[in-house]
Amino acid sequence: MTDTEESGDRTAHPWPPVERTPRVGAREKVTGAARYGADHAPPGLAYAIPVVATAGKGRITGLDTAEAAAVPGVLLILSHLDDLGIAPAGYVMADGYAFQSLQPLLDDRIAYRGQPIALVVADTLVAAVHAAGLVRAAYDEEPFAVELDAAGTETVLQEEALPLPFLADVVVGDADGAYERSPLRVDAVYETGPQHQVPMELIGGVAEWHGDTLVVHEGTQSAGALRGGLARQLGIDPDRVQVITPYVGGGFGQKNSLQPHLAPLAVAARRLGRPVKLVLPRAHTFHAASFRPVSRHRVRLGADRSGRLLAAIHEVDQQASRRDLLPATYTEITSRLYGISSFRGRQRHVRTDVQTPGYMRAPFEHPAAFALESALDELACAAGRDPVELRLSNDAGADPVTGKPFSSRHLAACLRRGAELFGWAERPPDPGSMRETDGTLVGWGVAAGAYPVMTVPVLARLRARADGRVLAEVGGHEMGQGITTALARAVAGDLGIGVDRVDVVVGDTRVVPHHLTAGAWGTNSTLLAVHAALLELRARLGVPREGPVDVAAAVAAAGRSAPEQDGAEVVAEALTKGPGQPPEAVDRMRAGLVAPAGPEYPGHVAFSFIAHFAEVRVAPAAPRVRVSRVVSVADCGRVASPVTAEAQVRGAVVWGIGAALSEHSEVDPRFGGFVNADLADYVIPVNADVGRIEVAFVGEPDFTLNPTGVKTLGEVALVGVAPAIANAVFHATGRRPRSLPIRVEDLL
Amino acid sequence: MRPYTYTAPATLEEAVRALSEAGPGTKVLAGGTTLFDLMKLDIETPPAVVDIRALPELAGIDTAGPRELTFGAGALMADVAADPLLRRDYPALAESLAKAASQQLRNMATVGGNLLQRTRCTYFRGGPPFPCNKRLPGSGCAAIGGLDRGHALLGGGDACVATYPGDWAVALIAFDAVLDVTGPRGTRTLPLAGLHVEPGERPDREHTLAWDEIVTRIRVPVTAAGRGSTYHKVRDRESYAFALASAAVAVTLGEGGAVEECRVAVGGVATRPWRCPSAEEELAGAVLDRRSARRAGAAAFAGARAGTHNAFRIELGIRTVAEALRIAGERALR
Amino acid sequence: MTSEVVTEFTVNGQAVRLDLDPRESLLDVLRERLGLTGSKKGCDHGQCGACTVHVDGRRVVSCLLPAVQVNGRSVRTIEGVAGPDGALHPLQQAFVDHDALQCGYCTPGQVMSGLACIAEGNAGADDDIREHMSGNLCRCGAYPGILAAVRAAAGRREG
Repeated sequence: MTDTEESGDRTAHPWPPVERTPRVGAREKVTGAARYGADHAPPGLAYAIPVVATAGKGRITGLDTAEAAAVPGVLLILSHLDDLGIAPAGYVMADGYAFQSLQPLLDDRIAYRGQPIALVVADTLVAAVHAAGLVRAAYDEEPFAVELDAAGTETVLQEEALPLPFLADVVVGDADGAYERSPLRVDAVYETGPQHQVPMELIGGVAEWHGDTLVVHEGTQSAGALRGGLARQLGIDPDRVQVITPYVGGGFGQKNSLQPHLAPLAVAARRLGRPVKLVLPRAHTFHAASFRPVSRHRVRLGADRSGRLLAAIHEVDQQASRRDLLPATYTEITSRLYGISSFRGRQRHVRTDVQTPGYMRAPFEHPAAFALESALDELACAAGRDPVELRLSNDAGADPVTGKPFSSRHLAACLRRGAELFGWAERPPDPGSMRETDGTLVGWGVAAGAYPVMTVPVLARLRARADGRVLAEVGGHEMGQGITTALARAVAGDLGIGVDRVDVVVGDTRVVPHHLTAGAWGTNSTLLAVHAALLELRARLGVPREGPVDVAAAVAAAGRSAPEQDGAEVVAEALTKGPGQPPEAVDRMRAGLVAPAGPEYPGHVAFSFIAHFAEVRVAPAAPRVRVSRVVSVADCGRVASPVTAEAQVRGAVVWGIGAALSEHSEVDPRFGGFVNADLADYVIPVNADVGRIEVAFVGEPDFTLNPTGVKTLGEVALVGVAPAIANAVFHATGRRPRSLPIRVEDLL
Repeated sequence: MRPYTYTAPATLEEAVRALSEAGPGTKVLAGGTTLFDLMKLDIETPPAVVDIRALPELAGIDTAGPRELTFGAGALMADVAADPLLRRDYPALAESLAKAASQQLRNMATVGGNLLQRTRCTYFRGGPPFPCNKRLPGSGCAAIGGLDRGHALLGGGDACVATYPGDWAVALIAFDAVLDVTGPRGTRTLPLAGLHVEPGERPDREHTLAWDEIVTRIRVPVTAAGRGSTYHKVRDRESYAFALASAAVAVTLGEGGAVEECRVAVGGVATRPWRCPSAEEELAGAVLDRRSARRAGAAAFAGARAGTHNAFRIELGIRTVAEALRIAGERALR
Repeated sequence: MTSEVVTEFTVNGQAVRLDLDPRESLLDVLRERLGLTGSKKGCDHGQCGACTVHVDGRRVVSCLLPAVQVNGRSVRTIEGVAGPDGALHPLQQAFVDHDALQCGYCTPGQVMSGLACIAEGNAGADDDIREHMSGNLCRCGAYPGILAAVRAAAGRREG
């Protein structure tokens, strides 16, 4: 096995092009054969349903389970009254595994409405649901605060509360002085409300014990965190926990860590000696996992009269829970999208009585881009400049923060190509100047986005088989982003075999250790490991470092020359990690923990970029915004899998439509928690909301960054969609949206 | 969900008997899209359910008749929405169904059951800890002073401002629909306008049917205004959502565009399907144009009472009525 | 205690006879009793369409259908769409060809809905398809691909 330092062999490796290939696993998905966590149905299955707190904060003073326990078929009711023998798993961003540090059911404290207080297990689902509805709790309630401006919140400065170098406020030059001296200034506050990821797959799965080994079938983006976290919680060896998650029904950050239902589920399964299935009701998922917190952004931009940026100040307040602080990196992109010589960022956390907020697709970058890119549009108006032209004239050469070059930066190409595809040159500058005969206002808007390229440790194992097939066993997760397609294409392209000759296994801790698949690092990180493993495999097969390989013949030949191998297969492994990541990063990945820091590139910084162009229509009678057309052009380095990459961008545009126009988790300060906790009231786009979406890629491989030339896509694709829509709304109506979502009442 | 006994009688007569025998609290189950949904939330907890979905007496759609249109209460929303004659001659009725829910739900829900669809108020559906006079009489109303963006502007009171969520009944009430109702005491006819009641002091009472009565048929008198009609619905997304405001409007126009017959009802904004006689009076004899349409909309909302977050829907509602009148007027001229 | 109700129906042509608690939804019966896990639970309240199946040839959300109500009726699920030899139905193939899916969780419901959409005659124009496929949420946002797949399977070109 090669344990390669950093990103393995550093020579550029321009894989031979592979034709557009359909998504791996598509057949299983269109036939219903794909097995998600809760599809697992072992014999003897019992069913669990949680009971959740109705109080906003306080203590449980009484828990009456008698009526519930009397329901025929009820087997077990777990609560804090019981000693569950569960240790806390720790917060994922503080050396732990869970989405928050709080593990419910261990004591009588209630930290937020919706917190689980009991778990009912029964022979049948109807019995479990019935009984859960009969559990009664009494509370000693305490005052709570759930909104940013409420009395009783606590505001802390990030660089003091989380004193880590990469979380310090970004300060370059004297931004305040430069701002004061600027002839053109924009000073505005932007806000994005709380939102929920709502992947279609409900949270839940099956826990079963095979002897003293716990087997978990559950959709997750971090099988390693479930494995390591459950081992810690139950006090068992991690090797006695297996997590199987071949398909994940959407993650978007919601499933990036251990959730607190699993340890009690494992306890129930152990006590009963039966497998137990838990599928959380959709309403529970609004409190059972993380969400995108409220963030409020004050942005000040200073520019000369031509619109050349001289200073930017970006101050952010982000909602937090009482217990945990989600490290915020809003200013990481706002300090770098443009060549701004003086920048000052400040990030604060506002502690409230909620579950710990967390990661939701482009967690910081989407709100940050809404703030900055809206402000830039305001500046373009003030300067009388075309918004595309203004952005092009403020493009950055080197990284304004570190002075290092970008590994690659094609934002200008994204803007130019997008403008061309969109027909931007036809845009009249004045708001309200495009109107259809029925009075419908039409607006065109543009916005840019960026997202850092992160790389994490990954282990990949390739098995070349005597029948000429290759099996790739890779630590990672398929949430629909297309990672298995990209991996299959990479192996097939390298060896010159058909994609259908490659099998990919992800999401199975029995096979390899798993990295947390999030932050859009999954594909580039796993490709690096596969790239290194391919070189190792070629060495073991005794074939040249490049060129097509007759796998069956090479395996047979290797078997003849190395009789200790049985001739059935030749195996090669590689473990790669990001540049500058310490060796502990690998140990942490094996343990299911997130990397402590890095990657740290010695000679450059690395980001993906994107430009979005949106056309909106606002009808005069009911001024609800419709997005009729979007063009998105991404610079993500080499496009590892065109079919799935295009889908990622289209899907992100749909996300942006929801984020800009409808998604908002409603908070009632009298009750805490979230009120519109279902898919009727939490409004995500439907098919009829989506018009034409055109996607293009710059397509320039970034061989400065790594030998595969692949950067990152899944997150950057969303960054800038919402401000492009908001800017289009301004262009249509002359009204400047400064908070999301933009709903009909905002334009009446 | 609480346990319940289930019976599926074969005839209407058997169903009436089964309902009586099962006793008060028993619910009739048709498409199930409201009842089964609310049972899953423990909002509805009937000890017994009588399934009337497949009763032959409740089937049938007749939109060709000379005097009235008739819809069996058990007809599916999807089938009525797709009826070619209805689409041509009474687009408001067809559209009110086509713009409701999703095709899957319209394939399940019946046009009789849909009349009694219960409110989507999140505090009603959410259960504890929210007080709700409709769900738990006397407990209070969380929507008043709370998140009331979608709550009623018309017909509310101090006890409840829950919006009646249906579309079909709004269109029907504009066309003076009547219902045939059967129960152990025989059969009666009930104007749709007499079915739903405002919350008043008893928001848990939503309609005037006795617990043992079954709606068997919906009848709509024929009117020439049907062709010049529309159901206009404004939502937070393009489809598969409840109305922020809607309007069912039907007009006939005489010489010079003067309004002869006019029917206006609004939905998504009131505690029950809401006919707007003042809007109709405003238009009677007037030339239908942007100004008169706006005046009619304003008249419809003259008595509106806004809460904390829903005042915008007064203006939206006025515009929705005006827009519906514009569309209906164009159709009336065809 | 709820008394069980003998319920007979067919699923993908196979006769089924079950003693059912009337509280069981068709979705839970398919998934938990019959091992037909292609139909998915995304909301359990008729708000997402992931559980869409056909009953007597019409698409319904199986989560809001008490299973006792399918007595005497025929149910078709995603498992009954491909040919017995495993050959994909043209709409399934169109979903693959147009990449009308990402995570795949909503896909069985989308396919069942798409089949019905075409059979109902609601695939005549792009806006018809968009409207009549709006009862199936897709959080990955594969809507443009779903539109393209239904359009293609309906034998239409773009427009």
